[in-house]
Amino acid sequence: MTTTPAAFTEETLQIADVSLQMRRGGAGEPLLILHGELGVPGWLKAYELLAEKYTVYVPSLPGFGESSVPDWLMSVRDLSAWTNWFIREYGISSPLNVIGFSLGGWLATEIATVNSALFKKMVLVGAGGIKPAQGEIWDYFMNSSREAFEQSFLGRDSEEYLKYYGRDWSPEEGDQIETNREGAIRLLWRPYMHSVTLPGLLPAIATPTLLVWGREDAVVPISSCELYQNGIAGAQAKIIEDCGHMPEMEKPEEFAKAVLDFLGS
Amino acid sequence: MFIGHFTEEPWQVENWPEEWGPGIIKVSNSEYDPRLAHDLYNRYIDEKIYAEEMGFDGLMLNEHHSAPFCLNGVANVQAAILARVTKKAKILLLGNILPIHDDPLWLAEQLAMIDVISNGRLIPGIVRGAGSESIAHNAPPHYNRERFEEAHDFLIKTWTTPGPFRWEGKHYQYRYVNPWAVPMQKPHPPMWVPGTASKETVEWAARHRYPYIMLSTQEEITKQMYQVYYDTAKEEGYEAGPQNLGYMFFLHVEETTEKAMEVGRTLTQGVRSPFDPGVSKPIPWILSPPGMNSKGAKAMQRQMLAFDSTGRSRAGALASFEDQVATNGMVVGTPESCIAQIRRIMETLRPGIIIFRTGDGAMKHEDQMRTLKLMGEEVMPAMRDIAKELDLPGPYDVEPAAAAAV
Repeated sequence: MTTTPAAFTEETLQIADVSLQMRRGGAGEPLLILHGELGVPGWLKAYELLAEKYTVYVPSLPGFGESSVPDWLMSVRDLSAWTNWFIREYGISSPLNVIGFSLGGWLATEIATVNSALFKKMVLVGAGGIKPAQGEIWDYFMNSSREAFEQSFLGRDSEEYLKYYGRDWSPEEGDQIETNREGAIRLLWRPYMHSVTLPGLLPAIATPTLLVWGREDAVVPISSCELYQNGIAGAQAKIIEDCGHMPEMEKPEEFAKAVLDFLGS
Repeated sequence: MFIGHFTEEPWQVENWPEEWGPGIIKVSNSEYDPRLAHDLYNRYIDEKIYAEEMGFDGLMLNEHHSAPFCLNGVANVQAAILARVTKKAKILLLGNILPIHDDPLWLAEQLAMIDVISNGRLIPGIVRGAGSESIAHNAPPHYNRERFEEAHDFLIKTWTTPGPFRWEGKHYQYRYVNPWAVPMQKPHPPMWVPGTASKETVEWAARHRYPYIMLSTQEEITKQMYQVYYDTAKEEGYEAGPQNLGYMFFLHVEETTEKAMEVGRTLTQGVRSPFDPGVSKPIPWILSPPGMNSKGAKAMQRQMLAFDSTGRSRAGALASFEDQVATNGMVVGTPESCIAQIRRIMETLRPGIIIFRTGDGAMKHEDQMRTLKLMGEEVMPAMRDIAKELDLPGPYDVEPAAAAAV
């Protein structure tokens, strides 16, 4: 296993009313990553694996990482409109492939409900956005950031957990984590991490969809996966065993294989 | 000089586990005993009535939510009772937590009714609240300040503009604002703002020429915040004075020093406010959720509360009763010694409003009544003389909004 980070570039773009932190790597068809509520800690192993086949775009969403957030942006639905704007202005050719993690999965779904032609294929990973049939979405805001990372992983000995989260943070890292929490609170406070109208709109989606869930997801219960699968016509599901809420970091090889198989099929 | 009376109105039981601390966002309400609460509510109301009798100018109430250290979850309820059963004292709300209200029109009408029933004695102060209030009522912390400011503007407009009118704001929208009840006081009841460590709020209060009251803060921080008020006032083109500034601190008075030390100690026992020295704090992300406070305010909060990552006060060891008395965080003693200490505070900080925090913690009713009597008979008359000598007018001596231009 290599621990050398694959080549990626990082830049700040002035785009769609946002000063945007953008990471990009690889070559080939575009693949857009919409990150989760905990933000992006770096160029992940999973991105590196996906970048062998695709041009992987990882923007820090408004209010996360080093990206600014406009005052008007108050909800995930606003963010979905912003994302559509950003894709057009940045010039990513569509239809494009997209992977949405947790909050980002909710975001991709929102976009797909109004514009099924934008995405060629959509992968939703531990997606928020829907109130689970059984259990509740774990409440980030009643817990510390450190507990949030712990809660997101089943295997706290996994390489990227230890690399990014399971250690002391520098003051700058601590500030960044706090900024990301602020970005998340703006979008997720109430109703907490779900939309009351989204379930009714799932049948509007005509995008080929893969659902990826860690069997032991302790943030978004796996019953949400079933609701997504029942709502989106033809959606497939890939359950990753012995894995928590962030399979892309906990089991990057298995995760990347599932995604590449789906996108290449 | 305006002198106010305040009790946090804590839950009082013998067997409160130490680790429950203030109980804020922590202890199940299955512990709430309505029979005991009945006694406590009525006790605290009785003490307020007696405080008026003893000559206090203002009866201060506050509120906290999901918080056993403060039984007054809805201060307006008690304010409404005091409006009827007291005659002269101002009813000082410090205050309603504006950002947690989704319907400030309802609040405007409640406050107008209290002002009318009390014959214009209401001071409807306003606060942003701790993060725990936002959690308890699920108000968005990241819009706390915006909602505070918009709800404030809405209240003032509702009280000063003949209805009906429309309100189409960012956080509040109404198609028909026309509450039947409007306040007795014109143009509207006087607004006061209390606080602890938010520079932005001090500046906001100064810009609106609202008196700002520092709550049980250390003297040094109080001085810094007063200076922010003075500076902001200058920028606004007026000279702030004692009538613009208030200070609250603990006071317990007895006939002898020994008795004062013995009984005063109960202020530091029982179910106490998490904002007091030595009390375990709500965990930081509950006290101050992301987006609620500026980085500067958070730094100040850390300095004041000095909690570590577990939420335990680092200052805990330094916050014994004796330490607090020694550092003037608490004024405890005979009338003579208390007057001397209060004089020093009046000379140093020059507030026009002083609020005594008393009868708190585990203090018993009879102890509170005895100290109120001594305050009324000895301490307050002396203070009024000192205030004249030092030229410390309160907001009812000099109108805070009518300060001289600089």
